[in-house]
Amino acid sequence: MKRLTLALAFGLAVAIALPALAQAREVTFNTELKNYGGDGAYVALYLTDADGQYQGTLWIAGEKSKYYKHLRDWARGSGQRSSEYDGLTGASVGSGRSLTITLDLADELIDAGYEVRVDTAVEDMRDNRADVVVPLTTEGAGKPVSGRGYVQSFSYTL
Amino acid sequence: MKTPLFVTTTLATILASGMTLADDDCRDPVADWQPHDALRQQLEAKGWEVRRIKVDDGCYEVKGLDQEGNEVEAEYAPASLRLRKLEIEYDYDDKEYDRSDDDDDDDDDDDSEVTSRRSESRTGPDSGIVSGKPSVRIE
Repeated sequence: MKRLTLALAFGLAVAIALPALAQAREVTFNTELKNYGGDGAYVALYLTDADGQYQGTLWIAGEKSKYYKHLRDWARGSGQRSSEYDGLTGASVGSGRSLTITLDLADELIDAGYEVRVDTAVEDMRDNRADVVVPLTTEGAGKPVSGRGYVQSFSYTL
Repeated sequence: MKTPLFVTTTLATILASGMTLADDDCRDPVADWQPHDALRQQLEAKGWEVRRIKVDDGCYEVKGLDQEGNEVEAEYAPASLRLRKLEIEYDYDDKEYDRSDDDDDDDDDDDSEVTSRRSESRTGPDSGIVSGKPSVRIE
């Protein structure tokens, strides 16, 4: 069963790498942080399947890769391989601020049982694995959810 | 935790077969237990600094520093001395988290550096789920 799942994930990755063959749409993810009163937060936005198995990285906020291990579930799933996040990184997100990411995702990833997850971490404060977990669906678009850690509110639009 | 500067990571490692995850106590018969010192020597041979060994729920509970200087708490079965549970505290205050590296001004500088690198070298990840370049805004 596991081997089959991996083959499917790989198949999707190949399809997405050739944009002419895959239909993609623009998706915007908005992550609003609480006023947690600390340094800039490192944030990982990524996709998993319904079992929580890592599928791919959407964005990493935080410039210093040596701190990426504190984005715990993402770090375990991605192995922190730079090929997973190359070109998908930016500044950390300050307390009380919002991170908005707009990118192209293949249509196949939507309404297909995938979840968007957010891990967060702040220096001298706790790491939050799975601060946010939401299914990636047309139904879920535009509906904000609250996080369990530093995330005040998270939503996406399709 | 007592000190707000520390972050605790718990890695639960159950190595002995036949033990269920629900079982928190060690069940080794007391006659089979090895002395504290045997465990201490085993850990010191790995480079640990052992501060304290006590008995908790029939298990040996160890507090100390691992070979990298992280605060650790670990639980061992007293007869086999096999590891049952390991908790490591990562100290954000060590040189990895040098604050002078990471204040906001530095982050802004890094931003412009990364942005210019990105525009010349990348059109999008080679593997993965995102095609093209994301646009990002922090407000």
